Amino acid sequence: MSLTEAKTPASVPAAARRGRSGRATRSRLSRRRRRAGILLSLPAVALVIALIGIPVGQAVYYSMTQWNGLIATWIGPSVYTALVKDPIFWRVVENNGLLLLAVPFAIGIPLIIAALLNEHVRGWRFFRSVYFLPTAISWVVIGMFAQRFFSATGVLNNLLSQVGFGASATDMLAGEHSALVALAITFIWSMVGTNTIIFLTGMATLDPTLTEAARVDGLSRLQIFFRVTLPLLTRFIQFSFVITVISAFSALFSLIFVMTSGGPGFGTTTLEFFIYQAGFQQVQFGTAALYGVVLFVIMAIAGLVQLRLIKPDDGGGW
Amino acid sequence: MAAIRQSGRSSRLNKKMAIWALFTLMVIIAVVMLYPFWYIIDNAFRSAGQFDRQAGHSLSGWKELFANLPVTGQLLNSTLVCAASIAIILIVSTTAGFAFAKLRYRGSGMVFLLVVSALMVPLQSIIFPEIVNLGNVHLTSSYAGAVLVYAALGTPFATFLMATYYRGISDELIEAAVIDGLGYERTFAQIAIPLSLPAIATVTVLQFIQIWDDLLVALFFLPTNQRTITAGLATLATGRTTSIPPLMAGSLISAIPAIVVYLIFQRHLVKGLTLGMGK
Amino acid sequence: MAQIELESVTKEFPDGTTAVSSLDLAVGDGELLVLVGPSGCGKTTALRMVAGLEDVSSGTISIDGRPVNDVEPRHRDIAMVFQSYALYPHLSVYDNMAFSLKYRRVAKAEIRQRVAEAARILELEPYLQRKPRQLSGGQRQRVAMGRAIVRQPRAFLMDEPLSNLDAKLRVQMRAEIAQLQRSLGTTTIYVTHDQTEAMTLGTRVAVISGGVLQQVAAPQELYRRPANLFVAGFIGSPPMNLIDATLERGSAAGDDAGPVVVFGPHRLAIPAEVIAAHPAFERYLGQAIVLGIRPEHLHDAALAPAGISGSAIRLPVRLREELGSEVQVHGAIGTAAHVSDDAADDVRSLATIVARMDPRTKIAEGETAKIAVDTAELQFFDPASGDSILA
Repeated sequence: MSLTEAKTPASVPAAARRGRSGRATRSRLSRRRRRAGILLSLPAVALVIALIGIPVGQAVYYSMTQWNGLIATWIGPSVYTALVKDPIFWRVVENNGLLLLAVPFAIGIPLIIAALLNEHVRGWRFFRSVYFLPTAISWVVIGMFAQRFFSATGVLNNLLSQVGFGASATDMLAGEHSALVALAITFIWSMVGTNTIIFLTGMATLDPTLTEAARVDGLSRLQIFFRVTLPLLTRFIQFSFVITVISAFSALFSLIFVMTSGGPGFGTTTLEFFIYQAGFQQVQFGTAALYGVVLFVIMAIAGLVQLRLIKPDDGGGW
Repeated sequence: MAAIRQSGRSSRLNKKMAIWALFTLMVIIAVVMLYPFWYIIDNAFRSAGQFDRQAGHSLSGWKELFANLPVTGQLLNSTLVCAASIAIILIVSTTAGFAFAKLRYRGSGMVFLLVVSALMVPLQSIIFPEIVNLGNVHLTSSYAGAVLVYAALGTPFATFLMATYYRGISDELIEAAVIDGLGYERTFAQIAIPLSLPAIATVTVLQFIQIWDDLLVALFFLPTNQRTITAGLATLATGRTTSIPPLMAGSLISAIPAIVVYLIFQRHLVKGLTLGMGK
Repeated sequence: MAQIELESVTKEFPDGTTAVSSLDLAVGDGELLVLVGPSGCGKTTALRMVAGLEDVSSGTISIDGRPVNDVEPRHRDIAMVFQSYALYPHLSVYDNMAFSLKYRRVAKAEIRQRVAEAARILELEPYLQRKPRQLSGGQRQRVAMGRAIVRQPRAFLMDEPLSNLDAKLRVQMRAEIAQLQRSLGTTTIYVTHDQTEAMTLGTRVAVISGGVLQQVAAPQELYRRPANLFVAGFIGSPPMNLIDATLERGSAAGDDAGPVVVFGPHRLAIPAEVIAAHPAFERYLGQAIVLGIRPEHLHDAALAPAGISGSAIRLPVRLREELGSEVQVHGAIGTAAHVSDDAADDVRSLATIVARMDPRTKIAEGETAKIAVDTAELQFFDPASGDSILA
């Protein structure tokens, strides 16, 4: 619904009204509209191009150099082929891949919680606020708590022994893979708030008669959830998927920094942390840029893939 | 023809039990969500020794916190940076959102896509060129650099949200204003903006939390004396003498503004998200 | 095929509003009962209670003798057609209709057969693979009906299924629904706010206002013997003329000895048979009453059909509307028309009444016309309670 197809006012001379495109026939009104449109959208575009667009281009350039912040020595596209042969790189990418496995949980659990909240049991609004509260805590703080929670002398083991499972006490942060699992669990916990709100909002926009029709037609609550509610939430699930993946791949820096510092070994070094290591610990900014470009490409691919996988089919178009 | 199930007390009882089970489940989830909060609050009021023993309470953690960190100063810095960044984001995204939604011009669809796709660019990919660029224009030793970066990072999502919101405003409203003689720019200022308060509230809350809690930009673009509280806490957390209670106390202080902002705006948040994500 | 009974059913919402007040209704096997009334009168709430989508505050709803108050909608064996059709946008027409059967574990072959049959009856065969967004309003409505038909339920519940269609389509679909219900013989409760729909469709019609049942009877009965002012004014288009009048003893001479109804300068003698059949008239002698005259019972005296009693009134004509098949004439009666308590705020007391006349009439605006009144069809109501005196 834009105003570009509005009828030209009758007061405009006939010559100007004739024809749809072509600069000579554009009315004064549409010219003003175009000018306003360009003017109003300019700040945003300028900001994004200057501070995001250009740096992306620069990152691509620097990725093919050896750069210590002052001098950049050109190497060329061979850095990419070299990267593909680097086992540590693949180890790191593997971590990202494993973290990706956490995404379904980071989406599925909030879906269930949103469904529970949607039943509008007394006090549901209170619970909704409570579930979103963790979002307000910074990753640094979460990291600190998580570090103490999962460690050998940590809270988790305390709880386990209290419940009687003292035997299975472990130091999750000591093993490479278990540390990643601990990271994943923490990540899922922190995404619950945001995604629950997104899905709850989505459920609120659904036409209630669709679920009522299903209720009368004989479906059980569970069947209704999977066959009616979920398909209708596709757009929201898509949105949530994108946000969650973006978070998983680019927002966990502080968490990793405080919780495990990427360790043990490369256990919790995801690509974004790897970039930090290359840049600030090894002062290899070119390499860091290289990893940065790869990260961006991975995210773009993930975004495109999910557009194909989760097809919205709810009768609405963009 | 199917049979009708029997009505009666047992089904009413089942319904009641189901509600109680649901309620219990929600309480359990709440506990899981809130436990870290409790842990932080509990341990913020301990001394180092009490922390190790997990018993007793005192205010020594707080004293230590204020001794090791310029807390009030950093809180002020955080507030300043947040306010400035959000101001820019709102100005930029409401104008652009309106333009993309209502003032389509040739190619605006592509430009819109460009702006929104910037969402996918992770900060880590561009942070080094960014530092270099801003360093070249001498913006890394003041708030300005950080604010600009935050603004640029928040603009894609905010613009997306505002554009979606503005799409829902009827064209006729705009046309009426134009007929009354307002230019498109004034129409935007006087008609579109007042109508978009829920969306503005949504953007404010989400960006506030993100910027307040951000570490990366704060560490790299702000000099030590202009650090935000989040950055300050991070340095404390990885410092050599890691005494826990002051960290907990600091975390508590840092978390409160975000919580307050959320609670104030939460009704608008839901409304804004609804309209932002809906048809 | 089922009987549905509502006994003293009441619905109170948490905010205090009483949507339905002690409703008693019995729907017979195979009957099409219409619930009609203005917006907000509680008819949809009542329907939803029968469906199980709303809890019953007090009273009992029974299907085939079994109380179903606590039975979930899906176990009541009923199918519902919603005003907005409630079609699943992500499924094709075929899948929409097959949806419920799939999850009730009906055999695939059986599903295919039922859907094909319903599609044939509703002429949806060419559209089976389309999605709802690719269909017109009328087609979507038929899909909603199809979804209900394949269920082969005990009863259909229809909530204003035609309200979202344009006028012409509505008339056509009305007839189709009526035929469908008759051929299937399924008990149906049908909700609408359109009194024309109610009259043409219903075996019986229940008029509801403010959550209270006003009258339930066959359409003809509602038309000829409205139980109260509300029903009288609601059924019939154009609506019945309602006039504040008084009942007086007749003059001593001749067969005008019986009671006479007086409004403004006009006097109308009430036929003797009517008086004899309704002794209640005695109580109202000398009192104020509300007189009701249907526009179709006012005739051009020059063209009046034989048999209309001699009562005539002379009215200055304010407006003449040509409708082609009839002429509607508005005449001033020189006194106040009756304005009911729940009339819309902007209904002015026009002090005119409407007559539906033979299109050959020569009555013109501005002249004083002689209008014959079919006094055998006059209606009388108690001004305080609104109840019909003829009841």
